Amino acid sequence: MSAAEQIDPSIDHYLAEFSRIERDLPGSDDSKRVRSTELKRFAETGFPTVRDEEWKYTSLAAVEKRRFEINDESAAIDKSALDAFMPKGFEAHRLVLVDGYFNAGLSDLNDLPAGVTVRSFADHLRDNAGVGVKAQEVDDEPGSLAAMNAAFFTDGAYVETASGAVLEKPLHIICVSSGAHDDRMTQVRHRYVFGENSQATIVEHAIGLGDKAYFANVVTEAVMGRNAQLKRVRLQEESERGYHVSAFFGQQRRDSRIFNHAFDLGGRLARIDTNSRLVDQNAEVHLNGVFVPTGRQHMDNHTMIDHDTEHSISREQYKGVLAGHGRGVFNGKILIRKDAQKTDSDLSVDALLLSDKAEVDAKPELEIYADDVTAGHGSTVGQLDEDAVFYLKSRGISEEGARAVLTYSFANALVEQLGIAPIERYVEATLLKKLPGGEAFADLA
Amino acid sequence: MISIKNLHAEVEGKPILRGVDLEIPDGEVHAIMGPNGSGKSTLASILAGREEYEVTQGSVTYKGQELLEMDPDERACEGVFLGFQYPVEIPGVSNLYLLRAALNARRKYHGEPEIDAVDFMQMAQEKIDHVGMSMEMAKRGVNEDFSGGEKKRNEIFQMLMLEPNLAILDETDSGLDIDALKVVSDGINRLRSPERSVVLVTHYKRLLEHCVPDRIHVLYQGQIVRSGGPELADTLEAEGYANLETDEAAATS
Ligand SMILES: Nc1ncnc2c1ncn2[C@@H]1O[C@H](COP(=O)(O)OP(=O)(O)OP(=O)(O)O)[C@@H](O)[C@H]1O
Ligand SMILES: [Mg+2]
Repeated sequence: MSAAEQIDPSIDHYLAEFSRIERDLPGSDDSKRVRSTELKRFAETGFPTVRDEEWKYTSLAAVEKRRFEINDESAAIDKSALDAFMPKGFEAHRLVLVDGYFNAGLSDLNDLPAGVTVRSFADHLRDNAGVGVKAQEVDDEPGSLAAMNAAFFTDGAYVETASGAVLEKPLHIICVSSGAHDDRMTQVRHRYVFGENSQATIVEHAIGLGDKAYFANVVTEAVMGRNAQLKRVRLQEESERGYHVSAFFGQQRRDSRIFNHAFDLGGRLARIDTNSRLVDQNAEVHLNGVFVPTGRQHMDNHTMIDHDTEHSISREQYKGVLAGHGRGVFNGKILIRKDAQKTDSDLSVDALLLSDKAEVDAKPELEIYADDVTAGHGSTVGQLDEDAVFYLKSRGISEEGARAVLTYSFANALVEQLGIAPIERYVEATLLKKLPGGEAFADLA
Repeated sequence: MISIKNLHAEVEGKPILRGVDLEIPDGEVHAIMGPNGSGKSTLASILAGREEYEVTQGSVTYKGQELLEMDPDERACEGVFLGFQYPVEIPGVSNLYLLRAALNARRKYHGEPEIDAVDFMQMAQEKIDHVGMSMEMAKRGVNEDFSGGEKKRNEIFQMLMLEPNLAILDETDSGLDIDALKVVSDGINRLRSPERSVVLVTHYKRLLEHCVPDRIHVLYQGQIVRSGGPELADTLEAEGYANLETDEAAATS
């Protein structure tokens, strides 16, 4: 057997694709070397398969079968194409990426406060030879897809906050896959570097237009200085044939806080890995997530909170609503290392099955090596309360309407914790639209 | 208003109603009493359309229509209201939202336009005052963190808002202090009119002193074994349900 034949044909394609575009990728020569190493790391394992414990319930066979290509440029899209995705009344700085490239025309970064940098990550790499494609502070970015992203990413958002800087208005990062061509991939990488005592809210909004198949692979790195605070919202609205993979790597110094709110509403398949490492005392991370696979959608959330040292806090709540043939997966790992005494952590995942064809696997996974910790966890999978359905019907509300209203109220308990009213309304309205009979109750939002 | 004929019903194969006959003319208030487990809530639930009970025999006509063939929401739109013995909590959906949705569902069913927001709030404020609730409570999730008594007040509030033709109140008076009881009985009396009928399921004469019924029926082991005027409540209070078995024997012979 020749060496060429041993190479997985899919990997072969991506190696060739890398050679094709390598020259145009942003970054110094050092960066290029890192990209090549990451490409090798990806090539060694290829796409994850269901034989991999971490991917047991999520098959990427449909992704592997295709031959996705990097876009050479962003498609020209009209501002109005994004109107439907703009939460009403949401005042924000805006950074728009189309097909993997920063689009200045659609962005609005004019009135950033002093001490806050928000720019194209590609530009930042071109201007600063010393900046690497992977954040030095993030020790490890496991997984072949993160490696693929490090090799291929074309652009992203770079956010840096100086010590004490506060971004009053949120930053709205919109990552659009235009669907102008078939089988394209959007490889995007964001980096947030938070100085001491700085604070910002960042909304990462993934949008798919059109009906072409595409692959969006997003990596976000957040390096949190002492007492810094990030509120991060992931709003995923890929289109029907969009495959979405997203990984977050947080690194938290003393007293820093991350509030992460994820809303997965779109896409054919979505796999989200949310990781945070609490390396110092009193660091705090909150992960909230709502995932709503309906039709034939598949959504898989994996989270990993690594309590490294004493007195750190994690709170995690996920809610899944599964309808039609929807498939959901949740795996929440909490690692409490030997030195992480006095860790205070809690995790809950609740899923609501609206159809007998829908399916969910939800599992908290605690690994505890310290002996003086508080670590609560719970998981439930249930159906709507039939007494409540009957109660609403007895008041004149239709069967479908009653189910939509109750489902909404189940998920909304988490949406309401976001604390950004325009986005709450937007998510609520989108959620109601997804639920059969929900549209009649649009004014609930 | 409603005519129940030889109604038999079972749940999971177990017979619960064993031939109920009951006639409630327009404008009348009837009370149903009877020991625990005799089937009162089952009867009330069947009238409201609860599906877990299987009707094996008999019929129910409501305003000339076959009630049992209608869906629960359709019945509500036609003016049937059930006050629940155990009202359900629905966090995240406010009481007011539910009522507006319910009123609009009814209006849509009758081909009428949606209720005007200002009119709705005015009407709500008025009825809230009648039942001694606060606007703050009305804006909270349906029955969310309400005490037992507050839930019952809320049922009456809903009833007053929805103005049903047939109100079936399942122990809305149970577990209430005297003030709350007055709210409930005032609410019922307010609703009384020649075109509305009320069924009061109760264990206590107390309510019937405030809302004097036209008839009282005793349900025992799934059958109406005795009917009479308001004075029957006194007899039942004095004698309990002990003599009912003999009555039942007499009724079936
Ligand atoms: N869903 C159900 N499944 C099984 N048994 C039921 C169900 N609902 C009612 N029953 C049974 O049917 C009988 C009648 O119950 P029901 O609740 O109608 O009584 P009730 O007269 O309202 O009693 P109470 O005065 O205690 O409220 C009881 O034996 C009860 O256990
Ligand atoms: Mg009862």
